Amino acid sequence: MSDLKEKGTKEKKDRGPVRFLIFSFVSLTLVTLAAFTALAHYLNARSSDTISQVGEVYMKNLSQQISMHFETTIDLRLDQVQTIVNDVRPAFERENTGREQVLEELAASSKARGFVQLGLMSYDGELEMIYGDPLQITDPEPFIRSLTEGESKVAVGTNPKENDKNMVLLGVPSDYLMKDGTACLALVATVDTEYIADTLSMEADDSLVYAFIIRGDGSFVIRTSGAFRESYFDRVRNIYEDVDGMTGEQYIEEISGAIQRGEDYSTEFTMEGERRRVFGTPLPSSEWYLLTFMPYGVVNSIIDHLGETLLLAAMVCCMVIFMALGVVFFLYRRISLRQLADTEEAREAAENALTLAVDARREAEKAQSKAEQATKAKSEFLSNMSHDIRTPMNAIVGMTAIATANIDNTEQVQSCLHKITTSSRHLLGLINDVLDMSKIESGKMTLAYDRVSLRELMESIVSIVQPQVKSKRQKFGVSILDISSENVLTDSVRLNQVLLNLLSNAVKFTPEEGEIQISMKEEPSPKGEGFVRVLISVQDSGIGMSPEFMKHLFDSFAREDNARVHRTEGTGLGMAITKYIVDAMGGDMKVDSKQGEGTKFSLALDMEIADAPEVDMVLPPWNMLVVDDDKALCESTVKALTSIGVSADWTLSGESAISMVEEHHKRREDYHIILLDWKLPGLDGIGTARELRRRLGDSDIPILIISAYDWSDIEKEAKAAGINGFISKPLFKSTLFYGLRGYAGVDDIKPDVPKDDGRESFAFEGTRILVAEDNELNWEIASELLSEFGLELEWAENGRLCVDMIAKSEPGTYKAVLMDIRMPVMNGFEATEAIRKLGRTDSNMPIIAMTADAFSEDVQKCMEAGMNAHVAKPIDVREVCRLLKKYLSMQ
Amino acid sequence: MTLQECYAKLEGDYAAVSSRLPSEKFIQKYVLKFAEDKTMELLEEAWQNGNFDEAFRAAHTIKGMCQNLSFARLEKSSSALTESLRGGKSPKAEELLGQVREDYALTADTIKEYKAGL
Repeated sequence: MSDLKEKGTKEKKDRGPVRFLIFSFVSLTLVTLAAFTALAHYLNARSSDTISQVGEVYMKNLSQQISMHFETTIDLRLDQVQTIVNDVRPAFERENTGREQVLEELAASSKARGFVQLGLMSYDGELEMIYGDPLQITDPEPFIRSLTEGESKVAVGTNPKENDKNMVLLGVPSDYLMKDGTACLALVATVDTEYIADTLSMEADDSLVYAFIIRGDGSFVIRTSGAFRESYFDRVRNIYEDVDGMTGEQYIEEISGAIQRGEDYSTEFTMEGERRRVFGTPLPSSEWYLLTFMPYGVVNSIIDHLGETLLLAAMVCCMVIFMALGVVFFLYRRISLRQLADTEEAREAAENALTLAVDARREAEKAQSKAEQATKAKSEFLSNMSHDIRTPMNAIVGMTAIATANIDNTEQVQSCLHKITTSSRHLLGLINDVLDMSKIESGKMTLAYDRVSLRELMESIVSIVQPQVKSKRQKFGVSILDISSENVLTDSVRLNQVLLNLLSNAVKFTPEEGEIQISMKEEPSPKGEGFVRVLISVQDSGIGMSPEFMKHLFDSFAREDNARVHRTEGTGLGMAITKYIVDAMGGDMKVDSKQGEGTKFSLALDMEIADAPEVDMVLPPWNMLVVDDDKALCESTVKALTSIGVSADWTLSGESAISMVEEHHKRREDYHIILLDWKLPGLDGIGTARELRRRLGDSDIPILIISAYDWSDIEKEAKAAGINGFISKPLFKSTLFYGLRGYAGVDDIKPDVPKDDGRESFAFEGTRILVAEDNELNWEIASELLSEFGLELEWAENGRLCVDMIAKSEPGTYKAVLMDIRMPVMNGFEATEAIRKLGRTDSNMPIIAMTADAFSEDVQKCMEAGMNAHVAKPIDVREVCRLLKKYLSMQ
Repeated sequence: MTLQECYAKLEGDYAAVSSRLPSEKFIQKYVLKFAEDKTMELLEEAWQNGNFDEAFRAAHTIKGMCQNLSFARLEKSSSALTESLRGGKSPKAEELLGQVREDYALTADTIKEYKAGL
């Protein structure tokens, strides 16, 4: 939409300059045309003027020439006549010569000179012909006057015999005798007017110019073609159309005046649609006036042609200029279009650049917000940590103060100590989390694989979780299915951590009376025969997680921030650590969760099967009954029992169990042992047991409770109901074996049931341990604390002494070494390496590092030096004992 | 002067030590022993001799003892000194040693005072 609009305005914008260009082009064309037209007109006018001027000058010269030629011709003829007069003297001057003879001589001379006629003129104008036709002198008066004054003169006469043909009369004064005996005035000879005209070339074929000779009254002396009238003036009156803006009469007046004054006269007139120039000049030796005419026609046509040529040239020039303009216009248009396109391109490029810049900025903003988020997460974490650390810390400090104040009140002190222990553990957990995270983040976290019993692992986890579950009165289910390999190779500490984290989260986020279920299952591993896939799931009916939160579940420092979980403490590192550990183990972790419905974490870990310890787990061929509402658990348990030589039936409820037991009892095929789940739908385990005891009477069939709950809670009630004992879930093969073998009359060793307070019992009676520690005070503290557990400790002041003491001892004297790192003479790393190199049978004894430097690189160095484990100073006695127990049991 | 008061004066963390070590008597025994410890003299001597490796170990030992007894103040300064000597003598070490001397004197004097009052 906006595109179209933009395009529209752009077109409008485009049309503006184009319209301007077209307008300019048209205007320019018009101006040029006008200019050229004006120029052509001006030139035409100028050429007319020029023609007129040229005509005038030319005609003047021509007229003068004609006039001079006429004069010469007339003078020549007059001279000829004069010669005749001079040669032929009159009779009275000569002797013996008669008039007749004179006339003969005159005629002979005249004819010799080509005169047409010859005569003698009297003073009264009477013409006495010597030879030729008689003539009528047209205008005798001025002729006679001139001759009388002694001047030679020409005049015109007509020959009546020859149709009044004009003849030119040449008179020379003379005194020949007339017939009547009087002296004549002049001798007159004649020539044809044609002769004059021919001589003067007044009507040449090849000339445009023509001429008339007229007298003062306008009558023609000599006229040429087309002039048939007797008078030039009549001609003027009749056929002259325009004489330079004058009327014919005005012209006649002017020219008459000029003739009388003997002046030249020139003007232009139009005749027969043609402009002509006339030039008049008086002729000498006569009363005549020469009019020379030149029509401008040809000149005009030439000039017009020139004008046309000029116009054409102008047009061509115009065209050329237009074309040039057009080309310029076109080029300009093209350039401007290209510029427009360039501008468009530039604009697009700019837009692209802008887009890029915007993108870049967005990226930068994203990066910044990411960085800010990270910073925020870190600072939130720090403030959480600060709060989380302070909370147990405050409890510890406060409880300590209360206990100190009530030091004599044993009960209160015990309560305080219990709370302090809990808080310390929590604090320790927080610190461990942070340390783990820093290890993970610095890439220093490594897994230590060793043989692990899944049974022990599960038992210990269950025992740790039990108190928490109990305090929240949650339903806790443990389900162990199809465990074919109890012993696997894995990092027990880390796996423990993972499961505890998942479980403690489940407990934390599940309300009171909610349900928590942990299940473990084995299936063949795709990694091969030596491996087994362990599937562990932790499910709860807790508050669940929002889909948004699940995206960040495995991020560091993540903790769903809403009111529901606000009072729940934790570092927010647990899930990140858990995820990292599972990844490091090559495992897979899935999470399904719905807000308000609960969460299920599913782990799949491929573990290498460890060599099973050589324990022959076989029980007598009993027939047992397993009662549990979980069908899968029943089947799995039956399978496990079968593998240790016991056949078993199973049922899902207390009611059906009672009927089955009764039936067997009637058949005198009593079950040897009955395993009863505590929490059964309908009639529960204790109720069922009570009913069985009632019905079986004095029968001593052992009835055992199987449960994930703490036995001590129900022990009293259970015993009262006639229950003989307890096997804690999870029900591994070995759990069942150790739990049941007591009833087979074999060694009555109870399986390790963790104690209520969560404290492991350590019995190291007689175990000799070497402590390498340079500081006496530190040694004494360690010694005093550890001897509590029955350990016998010996002190080596430095690494060298430590190595020497071991070297000198009987192999097996020292079961383990607690090794300080920073010692004079020889440090802990060197000492460890030296011990490992001693080549004794006990060179591989456990060596546990004690260091004040809880830096991960130190831990790494300890491992590299060949130590088995590491504890931070100040030493946690229980941690030391746990490690000692672990490594000693592996020996 | 009680042991708690003694801890308060030398700026130790009695709550921490009492939660870790089994009894007051136990703590008292080692607090008194601390006053007789010769590591500080060892540190001074090593420093005088320019044996910073030895000085580092001595500082480290003091730090270790303080951790055991939760002598927070001296632990802090001795720990800082330890770090400054970990890679040989560093420019800050001199100043940090001064702090350790001061804190050690306070700790030792307080313990002597406590002992005198028993």
